Amino acid sequence: MRLDRDRPDDEIPTSSMADIAFLLIVFFMVTTTFTATRGLDFALPEDDDDPPVVEKEESVLVEIMPNGELIVDQDPMGLHEIIPYLKPKLERNPKKPVIIRPDIATPYRFMVQVYDELRQWEDYGLEQPINISVPTQREIQSFWY
Amino acid sequence: MKLKATIEHKPNIPTASMADIAFLLIIFFMLTITFEVDKTQVTLPKTTLRYEIPKQSAYVSIDPNGRIRVSDGTEQSALVSAADEVLSMAAGVIAMDPQKVFVVKAHGDVDWLKVDEVIDALKRAKVRDVYLLSDQVTVDDL
Repeated sequence: MRLDRDRPDDEIPTSSMADIAFLLIVFFMVTTTFTATRGLDFALPEDDDDPPVVEKEESVLVEIMPNGELIVDQDPMGLHEIIPYLKPKLERNPKKPVIIRPDIATPYRFMVQVYDELRQWEDYGLEQPINISVPTQREIQSFWY
Repeated sequence: MKLKATIEHKPNIPTASMADIAFLLIIFFMLTITFEVDKTQVTLPKTTLRYEIPKQSAYVSIDPNGRIRVSDGTEQSALVSAADEVLSMAAGVIAMDPQKVFVVKAHGDVDWLKVDEVIDALKRAKVRDVYLLSDQVTVDDL
């Protein structure tokens, strides 16, 4: 007598795989946000209670007015004129500190603009990065002369 | 003459490669997804130089109304009432990881005083590496 054996099904059930895959795709599409993950590095110096004294004549002061106007060493100047003005001074003394001092009411973007410009020293043929300093209001009140 | 019976083709959409495409998309999203710890809506300042910010960085954001939010990089950002709270949060984060990078995500039009207070708090908390989050300058901005 011939026995009719039930052969087990050897297929992997994949009918729901597409549902799961598209569910995952929809989840990732909904939760993914393409955000800005780049910025300008801004290394902070160590908070020193007794910072080295810098003579006023030794540094260059870049003041930023609330309307975005720039005053460099008491003279109004355009953004792209700063480094050409600094270049001869920095060639004599590459460590010359350049102090950025925005007015407290100056929009933040103007400060970033100036900082970004001074970081592009290579484009102006300088051999060393500019020694940029951005003192905070507390430091100005404590140490400014 | 005997005519051949026309063979009827059942219309069907070829779906054999659908699973491949679906899994390719899943892998793409899995690799690119970053869960934002700070969702503050700001208009960032634009810069020419922009460097990649390390993942898991701590965030301090300042919205157009000057409200400050902080995140240690792992949890969602929370509103703080004053810059002094930034100092205590940053000091706690630095105590756990002295090399922690902080990101300042500030609206371009907020007063410098507000950003100054945050930077001063980070300085006092002995934070060394700060990134100023920015957008790329485009030809239209020049």
